[in-house]
Amino acid sequence: MIDRRKFLTTVALGTASAAFLSACGQSSSSGQTGSADNPVTITYTWWGNDDRAERTRKAIALFESKNPDVKVNGNFSDFAGYWQKRATEAAGGGLPDVMQWDLSYLRDYGQRNQLLDLGTVKINTDAFEKSLLPSGQIRGKTYGIPTSTNAFAVYYDPAKLASLGIAEPDGQWTYKEFNTFLAEVGAKGNGTLFGGTDYTGIWWNFNIWLRQNNIQAFTDEGKLGFSKDDLKKWWNLTADLRGTEAIVGEDKATQLLPKSPFGSNVTATEVTWDNFMAGYLADSGAKELKLVPVPSDDPDNLGLFLKPSMLMVASAKTKYKDAAARFIDFMVNDPEVGQIFKTSRGVPASKTQRDGTTFEGTDKLVVDYEKSIEKYLKDAPEPPIVGFGTLESTFKRVTQDLNYGKLTVDGAVDAWFKEAEDLIKQNA
Amino acid sequence: MTQSPTLSRRAASAPTPPRKSRRRGADTRAGYTFLLPWLLGFIALTVGPMISSLYLSFTNYNLFDAPKWIGFDNYTTLFQDERFLQSVGVTMQYVVFGTPLKLAAALAIAMLLNSKRKGQGFYRSAFYAPSLIGASVSIAIVWKAMFGDSGPVDQGLSFFGINLGGWVGNPNMTMGMMILLTVWQFGAPMVIFLAGLKQIPADLYEAASMDGAGPVRKFMNITWPMLSPVIFFNLLMETIHAFQIFASAYIISNGEGGPAGSTLFYTLYLYLRGFSDFRMGYASAMAWLLVIVVGIITLIFFKTSKSWVHYSGDAK
Repeated sequence: MIDRRKFLTTVALGTASAAFLSACGQSSSSGQTGSADNPVTITYTWWGNDDRAERTRKAIALFESKNPDVKVNGNFSDFAGYWQKRATEAAGGGLPDVMQWDLSYLRDYGQRNQLLDLGTVKINTDAFEKSLLPSGQIRGKTYGIPTSTNAFAVYYDPAKLASLGIAEPDGQWTYKEFNTFLAEVGAKGNGTLFGGTDYTGIWWNFNIWLRQNNIQAFTDEGKLGFSKDDLKKWWNLTADLRGTEAIVGEDKATQLLPKSPFGSNVTATEVTWDNFMAGYLADSGAKELKLVPVPSDDPDNLGLFLKPSMLMVASAKTKYKDAAARFIDFMVNDPEVGQIFKTSRGVPASKTQRDGTTFEGTDKLVVDYEKSIEKYLKDAPEPPIVGFGTLESTFKRVTQDLNYGKLTVDGAVDAWFKEAEDLIKQNA
Repeated sequence: MTQSPTLSRRAASAPTPPRKSRRRGADTRAGYTFLLPWLLGFIALTVGPMISSLYLSFTNYNLFDAPKWIGFDNYTTLFQDERFLQSVGVTMQYVVFGTPLKLAAALAIAMLLNSKRKGQGFYRSAFYAPSLIGASVSIAIVWKAMFGDSGPVDQGLSFFGINLGGWVGNPNMTMGMMILLTVWQFGAPMVIFLAGLKQIPADLYEAASMDGAGPVRKFMNITWPMLSPVIFFNLLMETIHAFQIFASAYIISNGEGGPAGSTLFYTLYLYLRGFSDFRMGYASAMAWLLVIVVGIITLIFFKTSKSWVHYSGDAK
């Protein structure tokens, strides 16, 4: 029973130590502070690949040289494992002091008092677009500061298309045209290069499609704003492509993890966030990757929006509020941090940081892409409902089962709705 | 959990020498004093959490908010949860096929190692080695690479004209891969088998040889019955152990139980429910159901053992 015992122990110890910690209380509002001779150590954790790890370590070193009274202990993992670790830590009252955060999980932790209200500490947000800040706020409290923004896009590798003799897309396409394009790449790719991954497997892409059809994903009461029929239509979009060379098989994609098929040079396109550029370049070794808008059946409504690609948050239980706030402020505002990350976190949200960063080459492509879609952009989404992270991963898993042929579209829709309704009921 | 239930027999039947009661009281006190560190740990780290998880299994505890009592809801929901049923199916497959195969491998190797040849010490260590590193994360990663697309296994099979592709991404092959991983780690039961084999008096075999018994006959009529307590012990331990498979499945499937749920083992689903979906009450209910089921299976093993397990002190 080792596994069960181990984690039950963790829960018990966690609860006990949480009670102990809160009993200790905090002496001052800013928490403990350090000095250059006796620095305090804060912990920071993020998700991402090696490329991001390297950049983050550089940023940390820079912060430490500018703030000799604070040491930052950094740690990272991939996205999926990241949230399981945070849950374990939260249960044990041991969340890292500062964390990179995703919009999907902001409510789960923010609404449950695990995150520090950043309105109570000193972080400069003057250089931020006022429309972007609410995405880090819940019920008037600020739990996260966006580091940067990202938008959805279709990536493609021009060299790969050229080698197949296929013209580069201009990004003005309907879903049908996009499907034809994927099928063409797959047909010419001869079993070694596939069109893309099944784009219906990504929740945010579905969300964009809903917006294109003027449907709200979630109602203001936190219920689902779309019907089973909507989801059925969505998953049927690629029904004809599944199992063909237009879409890379799930059996292949699974084995490439944690790399993506696109990053592994197995597909010619990928539909995802534009800030994945740096990661894709590093993973694939491609010379150049390009971005065009997502398909839409309504040429005037692309359903696109700028999302905070990631947020900086602090643990509600941090003993070093002052140091944590300074680190967050540094990471979101400092121009040199912008120079280190370029667009790998997304386009810097703070104008100070954005203006202090020189964007060249592919980074310029990302910035230019976000400029080019400006006229199509709608409001950023509010932090999604509690438990959204689970819905998002279930969405992906069900689509995988669909691609394995284990589920029909109808079965997949039922499976997802059952999970979603169950979850919304649980968290009501 | 790690103590052999068969070993206590002799101890229980041994006569206790009469002693003065005061002396016995002091002994008891001393005994408990020495036990204290373990006892404290046991109560604080095992019994306490178990009781709290029993309570939590009747609540909607989500790691953050105060738990709310919901009666048997978690337990009844379980049986309408398709993924739960899938995880039960996957785990049963693993237990039913993996455990006997592993024990057969362990016994076969133990019998090979039980002869007097040069360098047996080396072979013993060599065969035991996989078990030492088997539980580690690194070996699961190696396994994943070995059974991936164009990995050594795929290439080896392709050489013989069998083109299965990578096993890791194929829902029909992952179970075979997991079972091979556990069979390969036969070291622990093998060592116990080996110790058991050494206990069998050589004159039994000599007598059988003189009566003209072949190797199969000797195995069926001498080795098997003489070894039956050890076989029983190994079977019980390995079965319980198999129900708890977690780490290797977690690593190989990136913590998701894929592809298509084919490695969604019971404990992995339990973990996902608890720590990915924050449904700790639900996960606790799953944990207790597992305890009960494993308890029942152990009971059945003990009941049926009377008909095939022979102890040296027994009449027959």
